[in-house]
Amino acid sequence: MKRRKFIKSMLAASAVAATVTPVALMAKEEAKKTAPKSPNALTIDAAIDAITGGKGAKDSDKVQLTVPEIAENGAVVPVKVNVDHPMEENNYVKAIHVLAAKNGNSRCVDVMLTPANGKAYFATRIKLGGTQEVVGLAELSDGSFIRAAKSVKVTIGGCG
Amino acid sequence: MAEARKSMIKIKPKKFKVGDTVKVDFIVIHPMETGLKKDKKTGKIKPAHYIDNITFSFDGKPFTTMKVWETVSTNPYFSVNYKVTGKGKITVDYTDNTGEKNTKSKKLKPKG
Repeated sequence: MKRRKFIKSMLAASAVAATVTPVALMAKEEAKKTAPKSPNALTIDAAIDAITGGKGAKDSDKVQLTVPEIAENGAVVPVKVNVDHPMEENNYVKAIHVLAAKNGNSRCVDVMLTPANGKAYFATRIKLGGTQEVVGLAELSDGSFIRAAKSVKVTIGGCG
Repeated sequence: MAEARKSMIKIKPKKFKVGDTVKVDFIVIHPMETGLKKDKKTGKIKPAHYIDNITFSFDGKPFTTMKVWETVSTNPYFSVNYKVTGKGKITVDYTDNTGEKNTKSKKLKPKG
């Protein structure tokens, strides 16, 4: 009897498994069709609008953006931003933003600075999904925005 | 709070005086998942897990705050400048999108 029970239960289990697997496969195919989107997806224009409040930013030599021309690995791209501006009590760089134009979410980091920083400098490493422009945007204490952009060639993408 | 993450604060250069501007580097071991990658073993999408707020402070006074998104690399590195005003402690507080909170601090000892 025991053996018979065992075989029966095995058959039942396999039947359940057979009905489950196609469903799982379907789910997988659906997932492929609807590629996942970043939960914070933002285009570069929307991001700049959100930062500047619709004012836009001027291109300026004051912002020195240091990025590699060719990045072999898009997962680790060093970015350095230097803003040639005094850091005094009433005249300083309020914030530095790093943006990547073609990433799902173009905003990378917003850095809020204070005069205690001494110099407007920021460095980090970001991910790039492909060849694109990296934008360094600086907000000055008088409310104006200046920016610099450089394109980076990426041989292996780093996102997703 | 999950287990403490490995993190490090570096002050460059090593020798400095009051009034000098030093580089404060902060590195933390963190996965920085975008929420887009698939786990190769299970085939499921890994949930987003990234640092979103960082505060650099000196003796309790914040001098730099950052809002970070998932587009920053794994094991992120952040570097800012700081003008030394005297002896004290530099503290870096960071939180991630799952609510995990951590701090790291280092003493600042100017010479002369």
